[in-house]
Amino acid sequence: MKKMHHLQIEPGEIGEFVIMPGDPGRCHLIAEHFENPQLVAKNREYVTYTGKYKGLTVSATSTGMGCPSAAIALEELIMSGAKYLIRLGTTGALQKNISLGDMIIPSSAVRLEGTSVEYIPIEFPAIADIDIINDLVKATQEKNLKSHIGIIISHDAFYMNPVFSEPDFLKKEQTWIDSNVLSVENESSALFIIGYLRKVKVGSMLTAVANHLTREVIIDEEKINSLFHQMTDLCLEAFKTLKKE
Amino acid sequence: MELLQYHIKCRKNEVNQAVLLPGDIERADYIGTNFFRDSEKIVENREFHIYNGRYEDKPVAVCSTGIGCMSAAVAIEELTNIGCKYFIRVGTCGSLSSQINPGDIIIATGAIRGDGASKEYISIEYPAVADYRTVTTLRNRAKKECANYNLGIIRTHDAFYMESPFAFGDYKKRVSIWAEAGTLAIENESSTLFVIGSLKKVQVGAILVAAGNLISGEKGTKEELQKSIDKAITIASGALVDLQKREEKRI
Repeated sequence: MKKMHHLQIEPGEIGEFVIMPGDPGRCHLIAEHFENPQLVAKNREYVTYTGKYKGLTVSATSTGMGCPSAAIALEELIMSGAKYLIRLGTTGALQKNISLGDMIIPSSAVRLEGTSVEYIPIEFPAIADIDIINDLVKATQEKNLKSHIGIIISHDAFYMNPVFSEPDFLKKEQTWIDSNVLSVENESSALFIIGYLRKVKVGSMLTAVANHLTREVIIDEEKINSLFHQMTDLCLEAFKTLKKE
Repeated sequence: MELLQYHIKCRKNEVNQAVLLPGDIERADYIGTNFFRDSEKIVENREFHIYNGRYEDKPVAVCSTGIGCMSAAVAIEELTNIGCKYFIRVGTCGSLSSQINPGDIIIATGAIRGDGASKEYISIEYPAVADYRTVTTLRNRAKKECANYNLGIIRTHDAFYMESPFAFGDYKKRVSIWAEAGTLAIENESSTLFVIGSLKKVQVGAILVAAGNLISGEKGTKEELQKSIDKAITIASGALVDLQKREEKRI
């Protein structure tokens, strides 16, 4: 069997259940939760680990930053047999009631990126899979953790993200804040669109590492890592429930 | 005295907070008369017929929206203004999938924004997404009713005579892009209802019955369709009950 062009994996080397962080450096953190994790491939921004979790074969594959590289990762994972995929990432909150470290489970995403438009016209909604949403919500509730469920934004140009570009940055974001958008990140919308088109289940779980309204940020890597450990546990529990369904 | 709503001619708290939204005026009359207990017609103005009643042990209502997103937006805006919180559109649609036959039930998770009204609210990148709690509740009720249901994205658009078996020219070519993307069906109101739901923080869902298949040209008989529509109304009414109970449990 030929190896996938970018991920350098082949069918049989990954599980049906995949966790997708953006950062390749986070794959090994996620793999710590697997039994007998194996580094399967490493190429460009794509790192893949495969292991077991309570009888399931699970993998962690990084997507790199942004929808162009995330779309490649998802397509090649699907071609290699993945069926249930959850993006794990960080996000900047756009609502006052979202505290740093809170979990966000997107129901859908504003398509402010270029990649998904090559797949299907812009009026098509970028929606997370309903089973993944429900199973992630259930997993967070069972642990008594706070989560917010709703619409997020996925966009392409980090340095147009007003927080880093302009002193009166909130002006540009006001429309989205007023439209009850929870937060901003860079990959989910293309992942949701491709998931729907390819008939696999895709969802996201994000943690707020900044709040654009209060201007607070988490810079402590240790703190962010501990949030990723927590989210990995929740994803794996959701996978267990998905398998039963 | 609270403001009288311009089109639906109601004031604050005069309509029960959980509302079915059929397009057809006559379907609102049919639901109010045949499905609700202690039902009372409270409004009859333009395309808006409104009934209050009870279903199982909860207060519910029905309000017709007329055809299209323009009048549907008016209905949901004014109902939200007077305190309504849960909305389920019940209607018919044209199937775009070979898997979905006339009479089959569709629960929408989201809608393609092929309409004009929702664009006046927010730019086109914003998703028309159904409330996930409403989708889940509808699905649970559909399972209970043993209905043959499908869950997924639908297309909402404005011009019936561009995308229907009665359309001018090659309508199959026009809809093929959406069919290939796995879109389940075409109808005329859900996208704007979903967008307004997200903007006004009210819960909106939709359950539809395929009246025909746009690709195969197959159509259901009137009796078969009525049976499916009755089932969809039963599922949607039950979901309105469950959504209210769920909220009470949370508080």
